[in-house]
Amino acid sequence: MRTRRPSGGLESEVLAALWAAGRPLTPGEVSDAVGGELAYTTVQTILTRLHRKGAVVREQAGRAHAYRPVIDDAGLAAQRMRALLDRGGDYAAVLTSFVGTLTPDEEATLAKLLGEPHSPAPGDRQTDEDES
Amino acid sequence: MHASVYLPLVIAGLFGLTAPRLALRLPPAAATWLLSVGGLIAAAGAAASLTLLGFTLVGQAQPLAESGHWSITALRHEDPVLVPVAAASIAAVLVLAVRFVTAGVRRTCALLAAHRLASGLPPAGQELAVLDDPAPRAFAVPGRPGRIAMSTGLLRVLRREQRHAVLAHERSHLNHRHHLHQTAAVLAAAANPLLYRLPAAVALSVERWADEDAAATCDRRSVALALTGIATGTGAARQSGVILAAAANDVQSRVRALQAPVARLSIWRVALLVGLLVVAVVAVREATQDTERLFELAQAAYRSARR
Repeated sequence: MRTRRPSGGLESEVLAALWAAGRPLTPGEVSDAVGGELAYTTVQTILTRLHRKGAVVREQAGRAHAYRPVIDDAGLAAQRMRALLDRGGDYAAVLTSFVGTLTPDEEATLAKLLGEPHSPAPGDRQTDEDES
Repeated sequence: MHASVYLPLVIAGLFGLTAPRLALRLPPAAATWLLSVGGLIAAAGAAASLTLLGFTLVGQAQPLAESGHWSITALRHEDPVLVPVAAASIAAVLVLAVRFVTAGVRRTCALLAAHRLASGLPPAGQELAVLDDPAPRAFAVPGRPGRIAMSTGLLRVLRREQRHAVLAHERSHLNHRHHLHQTAAVLAAAANPLLYRLPAAVALSVERWADEDAAATCDRRSVALALTGIATGTGAARQSGVILAAAANDVQSRVRALQAPVARLSIWRVALLVGLLVVAVVAVREATQDTERLFELAQAAYRSARR
């Protein structure tokens, strides 16, 4: 099945959704977590591909398969990333980052700007299901 | 030598002062190109000016005048550039050249290291690399192909649309090679301290560019929320030491930009900046011709003295 978006992008979406869930997900759950526009069969295809590439592992969950990301990879990735960031200067600068720091005052200003109630922790995701 | 030789120096100063402010009011893609490429042109123009000014003094050195067959006396007589000015120009050219080369070498090493990181991040063959890190962070790692890195701490706090927004944002950095624009700005600022505000201006403008691209795939509010969600982070994130990039006021101006309608291309702002650069290029051309004429005169004097 061919989609307009590059398949690499969809694989990222699925992988990110699996990590966000924090527990193994069935293809149906992944489909919900990624968003309505992806067909179930597309999700299934992507999961199979990710599994073949060794980025996720498959478990039996009742009659379906459930998928979870390979956790070792994240530790290794963090280690390599930290090694470069720790060199500082230009090494850190070439990694364009989405992250910044704010003082509580600035946080309050931004919250007001966005018309959001100001709370220090912004975690209120919809797909939140406690990992237990 | 006419006043035109000093014009590129003045223009570098004007560009360094006005471009970052004007760029804020332009669509970010146009702003980024203007700042990065324009900055390099402004820096090159100023460097050419200093070189021409300095050469009037260098040309008075005995061995050089001998091999070039020009008369030192005539050069001294015809040349309106004061010796201290010419000497200061030579010193400036040398210092700035060292700064430029050093910055270039540093950046190249850093980009090569980033390329190695991009191909070494697990899982291999994936666009996304997840980092086991409680601090909420996301990176675009330039490479062939570039990689997106997101921390587990970030993935846990984002909602679905925000997750989508961050992926689209980082992908935009990679697709448009924003690291090259930033490199250009850093090099321009190294080559000319009058352009010292360009790197920060380009950093902000590529973030706005990526924000706009992300907003095109989902909605502006999700991007703004993702942006502040990450920037606000958690207490742990703020203490974790290596937190990069965006100064707080950058985040504020990005959120403001996301809440405002898309910036429209203002022809006169672009024309003003492009006009400045065109004047600088024309002035360098003029000054080069002036210098050539000067040395031709000195060569003529040399020949008549020989006869």
